[in-house]
Amino acid sequence: MRNSEPGSPVSSIGGRLPAADADAPITRLFESMRPDLLRFAHWLARDRAIAEDIVQEALLRAWRSRDALKDPSAARPWLLTIVRREHARLYERKRLELVSLDEVVETQASPRFSEPGGELFALRHAIMRLPIEYREPLVLQVLGGFSTEEIARELALSATAVLTRLFRARNKLRVICGLTAAPDVPARENPP
Amino acid sequence: MTCDEARLLIGADPGATTPALEEHLAACAACARFRDEMRSLDADIRRALERPPDIARPRSGRQPPAWRQWALAASVVLATLAVLGVWLLRPSDTLAREVVAHVQAEPQSWLATQHVSAQGITHALRGAGVALDITSDKIMYAQSCWFRGHYVPHLVVQTARGPVTVLILRHEQVRARRTFHEAGMTGVIVPAEQGSIAVLARGAGDLEELAGQMQHDVHWLPDAR
Repeated sequence: MRNSEPGSPVSSIGGRLPAADADAPITRLFESMRPDLLRFAHWLARDRAIAEDIVQEALLRAWRSRDALKDPSAARPWLLTIVRREHARLYERKRLELVSLDEVVETQASPRFSEPGGELFALRHAIMRLPIEYREPLVLQVLGGFSTEEIARELALSATAVLTRLFRARNKLRVICGLTAAPDVPARENPP
Repeated sequence: MTCDEARLLIGADPGATTPALEEHLAACAACARFRDEMRSLDADIRRALERPPDIARPRSGRQPPAWRQWALAASVVLATLAVLGVWLLRPSDTLAREVVAHVQAEPQSWLATQHVSAQGITHALRGAGVALDITSDKIMYAQSCWFRGHYVPHLVVQTARGPVTVLILRHEQVRARRTFHEAGMTGVIVPAEQGSIAVLARGAGDLEELAGQMQHDVHWLPDAR
């Protein structure tokens, strides 16, 4: 655990949040989002332990800024955004070691592509191997439910650039799944 | 809308649609098939993203072979011993070599057949801060030589075993007696009251007694540095 704020309900986020105080509803809301946030952070960081650190830090930040969350129904995208920024901050701050996924150890049995579950297994690893500039918008869109415009705003890109990155991400995954790659589109990476 | 534009939109978000896209798909079977494929793929992507792979980073990259670890350990031990050896032996070894080299550079010193005058001895001891108990008739050679940044007395003393060279090294500290055999000479460097004394003879032989005698016969004068 990298950080904690003594006395705050979120300081115990590594365990479970106490609910018996005035902030119980918001802490319960944050706690309910934790699995989603952890999954999201894991896809970004590609490491479970780092993802847990990111979520812990993000929840602390969210707790400190909880008054900014006017609409509880917007909590999920709000928290996902904080997690994404915390991930970016962590990499800027620590310049974490980049490890080739060819060197990581698979801790679960790996079924063959043709076996049941084999296609999903291959797809998961193919997504993990996507460069961050393709993986991040894809995860934001599919897991986070962000629109193209929201992703563009978050990543400081033009909407067209986001479309291009999403297209290329899926096009790479098409090949993994045995489909023919579509002709590439011209790069449009200019910021808005 | 062109096929490229349609495929960009489909690839970016297979679930999204616009009137223009639907119009294009109605007229383009290839793009319609592309969208079907991408929607199917997207469903799989969605399922795949529900659970990240259980992977763990290795603590320090690939595990090196066992022999490499042993080789590394052995090289560390050897390097440590080598450094330790150099540290322990280097000063006296180097000093002994330089003493031998100096004596080799003055081969005529061994050949003197007449004793040195009192004036010559005084000249050789000039600035060295020592006085000698040796009678002048035993000193066959006496020079003040430049050695390791200082002038030092270089003497050849006649003894029962023949001529013996003595260098009085006020500025060279040694921790313990160090004997050596090099270039046909036998030598010993002994710690003295101030600095050290090197004693060399040609050929083999025991110089311990003579070195002890020199320690006794050399008197270190105060405030001579």
